[in-house]
Amino acid sequence: MSPTDCEHVLKQIELYLDGELVASMRVEIEHHLGGCDPCSGHAAFQLRLKEVLRSKCGCDQVPPELVDRLRALLERPHAHPS
Amino acid sequence: MARSPVAPPEDPALRERFEREVLPLLPNLYGAALRMTRNPQDAEDLVQETYLRAYRGFSGFREGTNLRAWVYRILTNTFINSYRKKQREPLTVPDDETSDWYLYDKLGASNVEASAESEVLEKIPDEDVQRALEDLPEGFRMAVLLADVEGFSYKEIAEIMDVPIGTVMSRLHRGRKALQKALWETVRERGLVTD
Repeated sequence: MSPTDCEHVLKQIELYLDGELVASMRVEIEHHLGGCDPCSGHAAFQLRLKEVLRSKCGCDQVPPELVDRLRALLERPHAHPS
Repeated sequence: MARSPVAPPEDPALRERFEREVLPLLPNLYGAALRMTRNPQDAEDLVQETYLRAYRGFSGFREGTNLRAWVYRILTNTFINSYRKKQREPLTVPDDETSDWYLYDKLGASNVEASAESEVLEKIPDEDVQRALEDLPEGFRMAVLLADVEGFSYKEIAEIMDVPIGTVMSRLHRGRKALQKALWETVRERGLVTD
């Protein structure tokens, strides 16, 4: 694996993990990752970072009174919110 | 708060659809509102106003367009119009030479066992990760929130934030680097690694 390949691949990892690469490019990156431990290590960490962000920032409990307020809103949508 | 001139859906089927498809978005919307406002009371008010606007505008919602993105656009606009002015904060993050792999490199250079870099991430308390995200300047925070927490595509984020896709990409790239720096600080302060 040439360093140029790795440099090219690492530049594309962000788009790759965001699912924003065209199919041909995605296949090329996956092919490289399959045979390059350093690059796949980088990619795995960055993916984990995205997942951690999602799990740790997406776990807030909705206050029950907010649910009640929204239900009331749907009952009387013309009323101004209290 | 100005009232929307659009009447709420009188059609029971439309209302039922709203309850079926928009109400279940509440946990995510509330979390996003918290990250935006950084304040539980404002977050509740923001979510309530968003639902009110969405409900009133629901009869004008075009079938075939992305409902989730539509609701998040309302959330974002409501936030920008009603809550942002309360806050004073830096508008940007430095566009410096920070490595794209800042956190990975830092963890790799510390006394973390090989391949254990990801495990350190898991150990960072939820509140610290939330604060790191909330501390990003608004445009960067929204881009990272919408991409990584909410899972929207670049195109959807561009529509929700009403900015070009290139701007979304640049904010994500720089926002994520700034986030990595903040998380590294947390990792050190929490003693999750030894230098």
